[in-house]
Amino acid sequence: MKNRLKVLRAERDWSQQDLADRLGVSRQSVNAIETGKYDPSLPLAFTIAETFAMAIEEIFERG
Amino acid sequence: MTGASTPKPAGRSPFLYGGLMLGSIGAVVGLAASDAINGSTALILMIAPLWLAIPMVRAANRRADASNDACGSKGEVNRRYVKRVAFFTSLYLAALALQNFVFRDYNPSFELKAFLALLPGLAIVGVFWAIGRLIIEQSDEFMRMLTIRQSLWATGFALSAASVWGFLETADIVIHIDAYWWAVVWFFGLGVGAIINRIQYGTWGAV
Repeated sequence: MKNRLKVLRAERDWSQQDLADRLGVSRQSVNAIETGKYDPSLPLAFTIAETFAMAIEEIFERG
Repeated sequence: MTGASTPKPAGRSPFLYGGLMLGSIGAVVGLAASDAINGSTALILMIAPLWLAIPMVRAANRRADASNDACGSKGEVNRRYVKRVAFFTSLYLAALALQNFVFRDYNPSFELKAFLALLPGLAIVGVFWAIGRLIIEQSDEFMRMLTIRQSLWATGFALSAASVWGFLETADIVIHIDAYWWAVVWFFGLGVGAIINRIQYGTWGAV
């Protein structure tokens, strides 16, 4: 699954750790999602979408 | 834009604590090998260096916080895990020392012998329980997945090794190995799982 996490994070000038703290996960998790190595669960995907105030499909798309 | 900022990590290096732990264990082994202390005393003395694992993990967490290198996991869940493992490992060593002392110097009854023989095994069960609790308590789904993958690799590794060895042993090709060694092989398998996690996901995991 592709995602725009890295771009969205950069637009807000957030580090991976900043985003991890907002999501309540480890920085390694953010890194794994961002690089496409790990697809988040639906609850975490919703939390990511809420954090960026966007819909899930605006952040994630089928790769 | 890539990752976290990289402030200088505060406090002592985890390698210092790791070195102290290995040095202390080496000193105890040296004393035992030179017959300066007996086996029971050596096992009891081994407990102290194991507790250096706690400041070592704290220092490693501080370093992980301050760098972009993907290694380990932090937080209260991990601290609890390390404390539990240190406790059960200490219990294991103390039970072995007690068993060694009683079996050598006394002629215990069947009941006492059975009780003392159960203790080290129960301590190892405690370590498995600690790993189970880590999986249950871990709120970070990615880190939990890494721990589960490690455990699956360890299980596959240990059961495969036990199956192959068992048949070779039956055919009198290899020597007999006591069953408790397969738990040791399982723990080694956790290390194999951590390496595979690092290759596939860029991080070692929490165990």
